[in-house]
Amino acid sequence: MTAPARPDVTPRTPTQLVRLVAGREISTRIRDKGFLIGSAVLIALILGMLVFQVAIASGTDTTRIGVVGGSPALGEALEAQGDALDTEVTVTGYDDEASARSAVEDGDVDGALLSPSGAQPELLVESGGGQTETLVQGAVQGLSISEQLARAGVQLDAPTTVDVVALDPDADADLEAAVVALVAVFVLYTLLFLFGQFVAQGVVEEKSSRVVELLLATMKPWQLLAGKILGLGLLGLVQMLVIAVIGVVGALAFDVVDLPGRLIGTVLSVVAWFVLGYAFYASVFGAAASLVSRQEDLGSVLGPVSILLVVGFFFAVPSAQDPTGTLATVASFVPGVSPLVMPVRMAAGAAQWWEVVAAVVLMLVAISVIIRIGGRIYAGALLRTGGRTKLRDALTAERA
Amino acid sequence: MLEFDGLRKAYETNQVLQGVSFRVAPGQMFGFCGSNGAGKTTTMRIAMGLARADAGEVRWNGDPVDEAVRRRIGYMPEERGLYPKMKVGEQLAYFARLHGLDAAAAKRSAELWAERLGLAERRGDKLEKLSLGNQQRVQLAAALVSEPDVLILDEPFSGLDPVGVDSLAEALLEQCRRGVPVVFSSHQLDLVERLCDAVGILARGRIVASGTVTELRSAAVDRQLRVVVPDAPTGWAAGLPGVRVVSEQRGDTVLELGPGTDDQQVLAAALATGRVTHFAWREPTLVELFRDAVTDTRSATGTQEVAA
Repeated sequence: MTAPARPDVTPRTPTQLVRLVAGREISTRIRDKGFLIGSAVLIALILGMLVFQVAIASGTDTTRIGVVGGSPALGEALEAQGDALDTEVTVTGYDDEASARSAVEDGDVDGALLSPSGAQPELLVESGGGQTETLVQGAVQGLSISEQLARAGVQLDAPTTVDVVALDPDADADLEAAVVALVAVFVLYTLLFLFGQFVAQGVVEEKSSRVVELLLATMKPWQLLAGKILGLGLLGLVQMLVIAVIGVVGALAFDVVDLPGRLIGTVLSVVAWFVLGYAFYASVFGAAASLVSRQEDLGSVLGPVSILLVVGFFFAVPSAQDPTGTLATVASFVPGVSPLVMPVRMAAGAAQWWEVVAAVVLMLVAISVIIRIGGRIYAGALLRTGGRTKLRDALTAERA
Repeated sequence: MLEFDGLRKAYETNQVLQGVSFRVAPGQMFGFCGSNGAGKTTTMRIAMGLARADAGEVRWNGDPVDEAVRRRIGYMPEERGLYPKMKVGEQLAYFARLHGLDAAAAKRSAELWAERLGLAERRGDKLEKLSLGNQQRVQLAAALVSEPDVLILDEPFSGLDPVGVDSLAEALLEQCRRGVPVVFSSHQLDLVERLCDAVGILARGRIVASGTVTELRSAAVDRQLRVVVPDAPTGWAAGLPGVRVVSEQRGDTVLELGPGTDDQQVLAAALATGRVTHFAWREPTLVELFRDAVTDTRSATGTQEVAA
């Protein structure tokens, strides 16, 4: 006899099960306080970096100089001196000494030059002369020299100018792109750690609460792990994209970068490397976590597997300084390290297209191996509660 | 028909199951008894695919239980397990969906079962906020929420107060009336005796006795007759032919009758002593049957070991 069939009960395909698990992961995590706070901190950090960049970039200042009874030649000379000293010069004319003096006192100008063409020109400043003094001194002296030469009858030719030849016209841009990549890799590293950690905690939560027995009565271990990794991965990718959009839009809006095209390209490559890196580390973290049954023991198994991720991050910084160096080149091919180093080399323009392809292929091979071995460890260790399961036992266990 | 057929299982050198076989008919409540470590949990875990049998199989309606069948089984593991930080209602709906219900049906069913088990007001609470007794109810609701075709429950009554026991028993009986075969293990033999149509006693990896409680009783050899004769002198029954006195205390006498001995002659002898306030065959309780069954195998295996 069969119990009454229900029309609203349908058999589940593996895809449906994976999707159900993924959906639960997302809906649980998105309401989790820890996750929300972590995300907010990361976004605040990115915004903070932007503001810092903007503050540094706005360093080109202006020097305002008041002049009483000057000539057009003096204005030109002052501006020429300003160019040399890397400051913008604005010249304001005043009718008499009194009004110039009050302008200095009110801070309307940085200094006021009195009788520039007289025998004894005078510069009024609030207190120390500083850059204003150097600037005015140079301009007045230059003007006086050329006047003396003219009076002595010397005819001046236009002075010779120097032609500038840039040996590596992209060097500045390369450096800028590498710095952008470094910031992006920092975000990538943080998110890999965060979401790898989420996967690990989720695995242990199911083991320690023993809910895993109920789950495995309805699905296979790989479906449970795949759902967990995909659900959290989707959430991680969305977060990565949100941060990328904030970063790019902010950088463009505040004019922090010179080449928007390269910025977007770099950010996109980091997002793509995040997907590869996440697939790799989430599988490793998930399998490692399945070996223990309590959250307290998680550190002991995650420690060894986190080392690779940390090493990758430490390779990323020197790679930005020396993207063509041996260290950076080798590191950018090592699976697990490559997601943190290759984007930096790519951004710096130091990676050939075939190098990128090779690194991606190596990473994909590593991921497929990890998923196979990790899945086996996970399936073997999942139902072994109490204490820590030995790696070898998990690999040989299947379902005992 | 749910059939457990010749299950064998060894963990390393420890033979946990040595050929466990029994059947549960639709609408039957099957009580699964046995001492600690007898293999009850292992048997149930094999049915749920959580452990693999070395030999034998579990069948439902003649087909081996596979993943599709398991999705229609409601299961309650011995080690209770749910998501501690998930809300009760969402949790029930999630398990209903895993068992194949669509989203709307899962939500309806979750609400229905929360209500039936007295958890309606706790639907929005996280599981960890509930008392242990209520968590146990949620666990049962998780097993029932998909309206399963079969129920397999490992020690469902442990940790419940008498009221909880009654409401769980009622819920299980209702499932039986729906035609669902229910298998549950328990140490509380009085409960098994009260609820179950059929009982299986597992000892040392084998079913040593199975059938309805009545069948088990009639199979028991030593039936006893209790006669209370307050005015009788001590040793009143000692001389009766074919009768052995098991115990006698101030007229409260327990007798064992040999084959072919007529209990009416005993009654006549009792009446001859004066008043008879009690005269009845004593039905062995399940506890006694269990003790007998388990002891039998112990001595049997003992002999085997000597022989080997």
